[in-house]
Amino acid sequence: MRRIFLLGLAATCIAFSSPALSKEQLILAIGGEPEQGFDPLLGWGQYGSPLFQSTLLTRGRDLTPEAGLATAWTLSADRLTWTLTLRDDARFSDGTPLTAEDVAYTFNAAKQAGGRADLSALNKANVLDNTTVELTLSVPRITFLDQLMTLGIVPNASRTHGYREGYGRQPLGSGPYRLIEWQEGEQLIVERNPYFHGPLPTFERLVFLFTTEASTLSAAHAGQLDLAAVPPALATNLPSHMKRIVMESVDNRGILFPMQPVTGELASSGAPIGNNVTADRAIRQAINLALDRSTLVNVALNGFGRPAFGPADGMPWSLDDEAFASPDSERANAILDAAGWKRRNDGLRYKNDQPARFRLTYPASDTTRQLLAQVSAEMVRPLGIEMQPTSRHWDEIQREALHQDAIVFGFGSHSPQEVYYLFHSQHAGFGFYNSGLYSNATVDSHLEAAQAASGAEDANHHWQAAQWDGNTGYGFRGDASWAWMVNLAHVYAANTCLDLGELGVAPHGHGWPITANLLEWRWTCD
Amino acid sequence: MLSPIDPVDAYLGPQMAQVSPEQRALIAERWSFDASPAVQFSHWLSQLLTGELGWSHIYNQPVSEIISQRFQRSFILLGSAWLLSLLVGFALGVIAGAKEGSLLDRLISGYAYVTASTPAFWLGILAVLLFSVHLGWTPTCCAGPVGVLNQDVSTLTRLHHLALPVITLALLGIATITLHTRARMRVLMNSEIALHAFAQGASRSDIAWRHGLRHASLPALTLAFASLGELFGGSILIEQVFAYPGLGQATVEAGLRSDVPLLLGIALFTALFVSVGNLIADSLHPLIDPRMTQEQP
Repeated sequence: MRRIFLLGLAATCIAFSSPALSKEQLILAIGGEPEQGFDPLLGWGQYGSPLFQSTLLTRGRDLTPEAGLATAWTLSADRLTWTLTLRDDARFSDGTPLTAEDVAYTFNAAKQAGGRADLSALNKANVLDNTTVELTLSVPRITFLDQLMTLGIVPNASRTHGYREGYGRQPLGSGPYRLIEWQEGEQLIVERNPYFHGPLPTFERLVFLFTTEASTLSAAHAGQLDLAAVPPALATNLPSHMKRIVMESVDNRGILFPMQPVTGELASSGAPIGNNVTADRAIRQAINLALDRSTLVNVALNGFGRPAFGPADGMPWSLDDEAFASPDSERANAILDAAGWKRRNDGLRYKNDQPARFRLTYPASDTTRQLLAQVSAEMVRPLGIEMQPTSRHWDEIQREALHQDAIVFGFGSHSPQEVYYLFHSQHAGFGFYNSGLYSNATVDSHLEAAQAASGAEDANHHWQAAQWDGNTGYGFRGDASWAWMVNLAHVYAANTCLDLGELGVAPHGHGWPITANLLEWRWTCD
Repeated sequence: MLSPIDPVDAYLGPQMAQVSPEQRALIAERWSFDASPAVQFSHWLSQLLTGELGWSHIYNQPVSEIISQRFQRSFILLGSAWLLSLLVGFALGVIAGAKEGSLLDRLISGYAYVTASTPAFWLGILAVLLFSVHLGWTPTCCAGPVGVLNQDVSTLTRLHHLALPVITLALLGIATITLHTRARMRVLMNSEIALHAFAQGASRSDIAWRHGLRHASLPALTLAFASLGELFGGSILIEQVFAYPGLGQATVEAGLRSDVPLLLGIALFTALFVSVGNLIADSLHPLIDPRMTQEQP
């Protein structure tokens, strides 16, 4: 009898203790599995939380650098040497201290590695003493700051448990969590790192599921998930125990215009260059003025997004006065008239017998871009401009369309480096970087001044000047090299008890970037 | 440059435009994407001769390691589906063929014709919708439960996760084996051997059991081993539908992201796998039918 009573008691304990467990463990299905493993040298941790490693600096909510492993950092007057002082209490998850040796090793090895982490600007990393590191650059590049904020520090190869081949599958770092098990293609199980130098993470255990969209949704409806990335089309039908979280992003879509007239020239890839219609600034500005971006957000994104007016809306290196509330077709028509584009009987405008007609190409696999192309073509038709939505495979875009068609592209990054790639004439015609062959010497000089700036704040003024400096710029008031359309919003379903704190602005890519403020997440029920 | 996919772009993914031209060159150099196809191929071939299958750039692991890891998972799936389809298919075929024209025969052949003409992935999607989402009997994904370490997963749970993919995959094989076995059984039941046995007073099931089994097992076995390739192809689709992380998933990844060493490795491995299957079938024949060992005059 007594035994039965004890058994009953034990069973009750188990029954009552299981709800408490759910607070300790979060189950997330937000994608982002790195097939290469969790190796920062090959690019793990460029977005969101690196989870297992920690970085020298961290990105504040306003994207400015804040202290991480480094407590103090200076850039020399010639902008070629970073000197960083490290905290002395950081430890790897095996309990051994993290020293300047490890930092220098990480940077030097990542430069050699040939992975996604881009350290081509680095010359060499040197150890000055146990807690001081010096990084020398080959050219002034302020965007090297991004590497300080994203490159997770690994243990140097010469120590025990040091970096070696296969590190990505058994990562050792000084981050908030340590890897317990990675079942490739299925799930990742991590637990708190007892030696983490920062604040204690709220959740003892995290489980990341790497399932397809369909299985994620069915798991969410079955009540198995605490956080899931959801496609916008399905964001209105969430299970009752979950709330919708909408994260703003700079994951943008816009129309890239070929800037050069046709001369018969070919790019190194063999793709023809130039377009006689879009080479005229009046056409580009008129299109910019005529697009009704709020309608585009509603039609193409189901309402989950915001209008876009630049490549990095809301980022500190982007101007916020480029936006306008509603389309202005009157002004657009006036600009076209003044530039000599005359309307003929067929409703189209002509200039010297050149009709205002060009192809608007989009990648065939992307339905959002298809919608954007078709709806925006209808919006500019009343102006007398005919954009012909054309679906092509990526391969064909690269071979044929890249430098002669207007193209619906998507960009959006946490680094102003992207602005440099998109608009500096040095990158004209090199792959997907400045593929419209935009070239403006003043803009180039602003971009170079930004790279040579003394700090992120200073650089931001120069980045902004490249967009519009009062006379010229890549933005819509200047050369109008793009017609930006929308910024996507990333939609997640979260357990009603999960408080995600204040979310920042996400870059291109839906899923893992939401973990950026992982340490601020809280559980509000008990 | 015959593939429409640029391996560097495929490797970089969404970060495609955030990496400097110098870094792209470094990546291309590291994986020798910049070498001419002939050089790349001869390098691969010489490595292959020394038993080295190469290095996969999407998984950052030796190809042989990926194949062995993934195949262990796929093997359970393939093996049990294969065994199930052989046993059930053969049994159904024998029953149907032994009583040709009966209600049972018509039911079984009708069923076989329907499943033989049903695509595997469609069947898989229907199965997930019905059993996993609607009824909730089986898990929606993966080879194990959420948040549980591999070592803590019981055999019973593993089987629970395997059940739906295995059954779906087996349904495919069952149909063809049933139809072939049935045809052979039917021929036997109408042959002189059967007539002789009937004359001696044997019953229908007696004949089927004593004579039919051996006769009908020949096409069933040949077909079962020859269909290994087909089964493997089916598993690629099934693994996608059920989010089961086996060799099929790796094949799809390798194809979509231009991981040539991995794709070649898997192709070689599959070829070997199917050849071994046929070899086994060939060497089993003489054991079942001793007439085959006799020298042809």
